[in-house]
Amino acid sequence: MTQTKDSTAQGPDLTTEKKILIIDDDDHLLLGLTARLKTNGYAVVWASDAVTAISMARKEAPDLIILDLGLPAGNGFLVLDRMRALSDLVAIPVIVLSARDPADNKRRSLDAGAAAYFQKPPDNHEFLMAIRRALGETVALSTFLKT
Amino acid sequence: MIPKGFGRIAADAPLPAAASTYSPYQLHLTDENADLELSAKMRVDLLDFDAWGEVLKMYGRALRVAVALTDCDGLLLGKCYNPQPVWSLVRDAASDWDPGCPFCITKRLPCAAVADAVRTGAAVVVHDQAGLTHVAIPLTLGKETLGAIIAGQVFDRYPEPLMLRRVAKDFGISAQELWEVAKKERPVAGALLQASGDLLGALGHAFLQQRHGAILEERLAETNDRFRWLADGIRDYALFTMDITGTVTSWNVGAERMLAYTQAEIMGQNFSCIFPPEDIQRRVAETQLRKALQTGRAEYEGWSIRRTQEQFWASINITMLSGREGSIQGFAIIMQDTTEKKKAALVLEESQLERGRLQEKFLSHVSHELRTPLTAIYFFTTNVLDGVFGDLTPEQHKHLGLALDNVTQLKDMVSDLLDITRVDTHKLTLAHQPTSLVKVTSEVLSACRIDAAAKNINLRADCALNLPLVWADPARARQILTNLIDNAVKFTPDSGTISVKAKFFGEDHDFVCVSVSDSGCGISAENREIIFDRLAQVNGGGEVSRSGLGLGLFISRELVSRHGGRIWLDSRPGDGSTFYFTLPVFSLAKFCSHIFNGPNLGTGSVTLIAVDVVEVAGGSQADIVREIRQILERCIHAGQDVLLPATGDEGPIVTFFIVACTDPKGSALIGSRILRDLQNFDQGSQLNPKISSTTILVGRGQSREEQIREVAARIETSVQEHLLGKERNK
Repeated sequence: MTQTKDSTAQGPDLTTEKKILIIDDDDHLLLGLTARLKTNGYAVVWASDAVTAISMARKEAPDLIILDLGLPAGNGFLVLDRMRALSDLVAIPVIVLSARDPADNKRRSLDAGAAAYFQKPPDNHEFLMAIRRALGETVALSTFLKT
Repeated sequence: MIPKGFGRIAADAPLPAAASTYSPYQLHLTDENADLELSAKMRVDLLDFDAWGEVLKMYGRALRVAVALTDCDGLLLGKCYNPQPVWSLVRDAASDWDPGCPFCITKRLPCAAVADAVRTGAAVVVHDQAGLTHVAIPLTLGKETLGAIIAGQVFDRYPEPLMLRRVAKDFGISAQELWEVAKKERPVAGALLQASGDLLGALGHAFLQQRHGAILEERLAETNDRFRWLADGIRDYALFTMDITGTVTSWNVGAERMLAYTQAEIMGQNFSCIFPPEDIQRRVAETQLRKALQTGRAEYEGWSIRRTQEQFWASINITMLSGREGSIQGFAIIMQDTTEKKKAALVLEESQLERGRLQEKFLSHVSHELRTPLTAIYFFTTNVLDGVFGDLTPEQHKHLGLALDNVTQLKDMVSDLLDITRVDTHKLTLAHQPTSLVKVTSEVLSACRIDAAAKNINLRADCALNLPLVWADPARARQILTNLIDNAVKFTPDSGTISVKAKFFGEDHDFVCVSVSDSGCGISAENREIIFDRLAQVNGGGEVSRSGLGLGLFISRELVSRHGGRIWLDSRPGDGSTFYFTLPVFSLAKFCSHIFNGPNLGTGSVTLIAVDVVEVAGGSQADIVREIRQILERCIHAGQDVLLPATGDEGPIVTFFIVACTDPKGSALIGSRILRDLQNFDQGSQLNPKISSTTILVGRGQSREEQIREVAARIETSVQEHLLGKERNK
């Protein structure tokens, strides 16, 4: 009984729940993507411009950042550059999710330190796989082969 | 001496006309005049009596004969010189007498000597009624006879009283008086007459030739003057001539103005000085002259330089000048300063580029802006559809599924828009790799099956056995095939059939041809012409409500041709259509051709190095694979080893193959370098790289082509074996 109660009281395992910071200025995208990520067991925090993005990242210390390139008060590349310069942020993996043409922006994003580049709209499954890999979570071989 | 055929004419002889022709002297025409054609003006000029009169008179005086110049009709040109006393007597007595021939003392038949001479081209000797002889000598130049010289009017025998009496009677003069005059005449021997005819013929011909030359020269000088006047009058064009070496030989005022050299400064200089130094270095002048020598003319546009070092854009026209015998005399240059025109063209080009840039910017902006709301719709739809907010009724599920289909369609259209801008700005890039069309076909078919099933269309594929890999961007190959099948589904009525086939193509089987046949309404001939054009939309009875942007076939054509293949269709209205496209077969031999040279193959063996890594976490798979490829590229020698392209067929263990023209020791060295660099890259050692190598012997005693083909085949076999082994281990 106690055990059961204890486990219910604990709720979701906060120590293992990874936190993702989404930096995007489109409220609807934030709403839709957050729902998807939460269902998959991630905690989500938001930032809507390049300036709050950095302070949010320092404050929340997320495990992963999903970054749009077109942002108010700067752009995604600026955010990537500043993160590379800050010792507390340098290790956080970043996945770029942008409407921009990958032909022009993918290489640049990866060179600036992004772990992956997705053009909007991304395929849900591939996108989640990339998030898991960037978080260093073991991806079961069976899951991989299914894709 | 009487020449042969010079028979004695009886006193009552009725014919004073041509008694015989003789031709001891033929006018031997020199070759240079043989094909001459003379203008009417030249003919008149050649027989100008002002030139001839004095010569003929001197001749007549010297030889004591009568001389006259006539045209071809025997009409006298200018005055006739005739000191003959008998003729003077008759002439004075018979003032109304018009004999036709100036030398014939006759009232009977007209003299045909000139006509005969002109016709036969030979000298004609005639006797008149009084027994006097004259010779008509044709004057010819080239093929043409211009007129004749008549000379003579001498007795070639003693005058006969009987004949003279008849003449006296005909002309109403005293027979006694005539006889008194005539009997004083000393007959001239026939031979002498002949000789003087020869002489006169030769003289006449020589004079004619000399005169022809003189006239031509005069005219040439006139023409030259006229040309110079014309050339100097043209101030907006530079006109100049050069000899065969490019040395300037004439220079007009326009050239002085345009190039700022005076005639004195430039004459004798090589014309290459009008080109800027970099063009002189590139031997532009020589190249253009050589071209003009080969084809007779050369046209060139480029920078030219004035003496003041100022550059301008010039259009230059070089014409080869050749002499009459085909010898090359030099070149004529016409040059125009087209700087303004060039500037206008550059502005136009720039504005077109600018328009292209604006269009691209606009379309990429549109594509970007459409993607943002599309992404929100995509997340909302998929979230609800995947049950994030609870279960759905079957009806809700179906409708949301359709909404998602539409989102996908919209996404494809946005991608097409972006592709169009890439076509226009030549940014459509392809990531070539050896690609399995069997795999592409099955992927595309499974994606299209849902749409086909909705219309109860039987969609089937038939790929030839042992179909080789093609050298293509797999994503683009899928796009091409998807476009064709989507189209077929669109235009095929319910319960129709669509079949996709892939087989070898081309004489050497160096292409694979994929065909998509439908049982739709077919396409008319005129629509077949335009169907691959941008925004082509063909209404053909099928369901056209969801026809997209009409960019699919246009993009497909661009993609196929960028791959080096071809796209076309066969169709008859009412009988369905078949679209075909070809893609080039991937050839390992061709891919490795730059390292398969004499020295590299001469070592007797090549090595296939296989690097297996475990697919690991951290970023997307494709990106890691690309990083590793870059590391491997750095570990090999460009001219000696080559990293084979990925086939995209990798499972959880990705294999990279390197063909190295090296011995086992060399390949071990490459292997250790790879291990070291991969470990540096992958600090967590998750990749777990494994390196193996296979030595492949190069056959000896065959031709290079055979050697390469055989080595390539052995490499392919080894690659297959390695991949199969990997499959088994899994």
